[in-house]
Amino acid sequence: MNLILDFAPPLVFAALGGVLSERAGVVNIGLEGMMRFGAFAAAAGSIVSGSPWIGLACGALAGAAAAAVHALLSLRFRADQVVSGIALNLVALGLVTYLLQSIFGSSGVSPNAASLPRDGFGHSALAYAALIAPLVFHLWLLRTPAGLRVRAIGEHPIATATLGIRVLRLRAACVLSSGALAGIGGATLSVGILGQFDSRMPAGQGFMALAAMVFGRWTPLGAAAAAFLFSAAEALQRQLSFSLHAADLRLEGIFLALPYALTLLLLALRVGRTRAPAADGVPYDPEDQAVQP
Amino acid sequence: MPELRTRLFAPARDPLWGAIAALLVSLLVSFLAIAVSGRDAVSGFADLVSGAFGGIGPLGETAIKSAVLILTGLSVAVAFTVGLFNIGAEGQLIWGGLAAAVVGQIDVPGAMVWSLAAAALAGALWGLLPGWLKVRRGVHEVISTILLNWIAIHLVQGWLVPGPLGAPGSGATVSVAGTEPIVAAARLPRLFFGSRLDLGFPLALLAAAAVWWLLTRTWRGFEWRAVGTGRDAARASGVPADRRICEGMALSGALAGLGGALLILGTEHKYPGVFRTGYGFDGIAVALVGGGTALGTTAAAIVFGALRAGATRLQLVGIHPSFAELTQGLAVLLVAAPRLFLPLLARLRGRPAAAASDPPIPTVQP
Repeated sequence: MNLILDFAPPLVFAALGGVLSERAGVVNIGLEGMMRFGAFAAAAGSIVSGSPWIGLACGALAGAAAAAVHALLSLRFRADQVVSGIALNLVALGLVTYLLQSIFGSSGVSPNAASLPRDGFGHSALAYAALIAPLVFHLWLLRTPAGLRVRAIGEHPIATATLGIRVLRLRAACVLSSGALAGIGGATLSVGILGQFDSRMPAGQGFMALAAMVFGRWTPLGAAAAAFLFSAAEALQRQLSFSLHAADLRLEGIFLALPYALTLLLLALRVGRTRAPAADGVPYDPEDQAVQP
Repeated sequence: MPELRTRLFAPARDPLWGAIAALLVSLLVSFLAIAVSGRDAVSGFADLVSGAFGGIGPLGETAIKSAVLILTGLSVAVAFTVGLFNIGAEGQLIWGGLAAAVVGQIDVPGAMVWSLAAAALAGALWGLLPGWLKVRRGVHEVISTILLNWIAIHLVQGWLVPGPLGAPGSGATVSVAGTEPIVAAARLPRLFFGSRLDLGFPLALLAAAAVWWLLTRTWRGFEWRAVGTGRDAARASGVPADRRICEGMALSGALAGLGGALLILGTEHKYPGVFRTGYGFDGIAVALVGGGTALGTTAAAIVFGALRAGATRLQLVGIHPSFAELTQGLAVLLVAAPRLFLPLLARLRGRPAAAASDPPIPTVQP
């Protein structure tokens, strides 16, 4: 149980970021890259300032900055959203390694960064935030006018535009916030858990967050629940390899593949309403009425 | 909404110049990044060029890396042709590599050919799966191929290679041993003395020529393109669109699987315990910069292969080889948004900028 609370927060934040962006109609494959920028900036900010909280803020900002590139390309210049996200991941892979080497002179790990304080159970405040954030986000998305607008531009942007809502501006805001959430998720890895940046971060967590978002059917509570479920699989695997000396079993690959396989199965069997928002990935162009979902 | 290919490549009416401009700009940005960090960017770039083209050894390295990129790039390009975005080349490459490593251990006449065939088959099956899920179950291929990548990575590298398929006796030393080495007959023969260049590069060029011929000169290729440009129109004129999509995805997977086989049979000679390729993801970049055609993809693969080979030399002046990934990512960012360039290109070519700044997207109406 303790392990789950360790593993889940990065996934929860990033998955919520994914939900926010995609409910507003912008596909976000770039979560992995945004997490990477966030993790690095958080470690760097924490090392430079000595305060992990400033580091966390840097992580959120870096995630948002990366998301700004995605928003600029896909909303302003109408690049394909999938391509823009992939490009962002590639840039994050190269640029962060490059920065790590030119700033800290290492291609493996950063120096130790001040990490967030932990309570008696060994959890930082972020672990509890990961428990509360999905509820808050759920209420905001489903019970407030602003949340309704976000859902509307993800389902039918044209209709929403006729009500006087600026679709592109709102979408940009959602993508930026999505990046900030992913950045916080990345920061959780570096200043929250490990206390330094590792050049392999986030090691596929961004994609797992994407899977959690799909598994949770694009809802905040569902995505968070999926993130916890996936973390449970990871924690179980960790437990087994400790207790069984499972070195000879070598089953960790199966446990790690399980979340992805389950998500695929859910999609293939169409359990329940597994549908993306109607206008997800469809570019919105205020002047070109031919581009329609 | 226009089909994928139209959406990706139609706005750049000049894909060739767009790609070249994107490459030049991204190289320039990377150059500045090196210069800003206080290192000698000029000699760095000289090292880059000599590491990619300076002599038979570096040329061989460029060719080895280009060969795999050609195949994964073609894989993505073929999927584009039938209108699907195959992000799963990495997973298909991994299964192809594993199949080659396993079949390559059997000492039979023609072991190399059998290994290549097994790799193509394994990749084709892993590529067919998202195609089938798309046409039968309506699962979006971007999501399914991402999931399948990670399933392949974890199953092969976290379970099969260190576990059941691992070399015996490697159990104690954690998962660095990989599988048993392949037999000598399964290795790709080296072509020149003094270079690691092997049969892989000619094979990749042959595959590129075959794909070009298939896509542009055969009836089947025409049907694939028809499905990719307007699925409903193609279906209405009697093309079995679902079948064609599955065929395209199987070929796409087979090409990526062959790419994995080249890595195993050419340079690794076993499935190593630590195998981080990224070639599958790079294939997406290659196909995008290459404009989704066989010829363009081959050219882009050679450019990026040279960049990868040359970047290893940059370590001499203290620049991490991840520099290649940075340049590649920037190039994709720039190619992704052709509208960034159109006004500039139009001006260079003496056309009025206003006319080209917002070209109409030729929508294929169903």
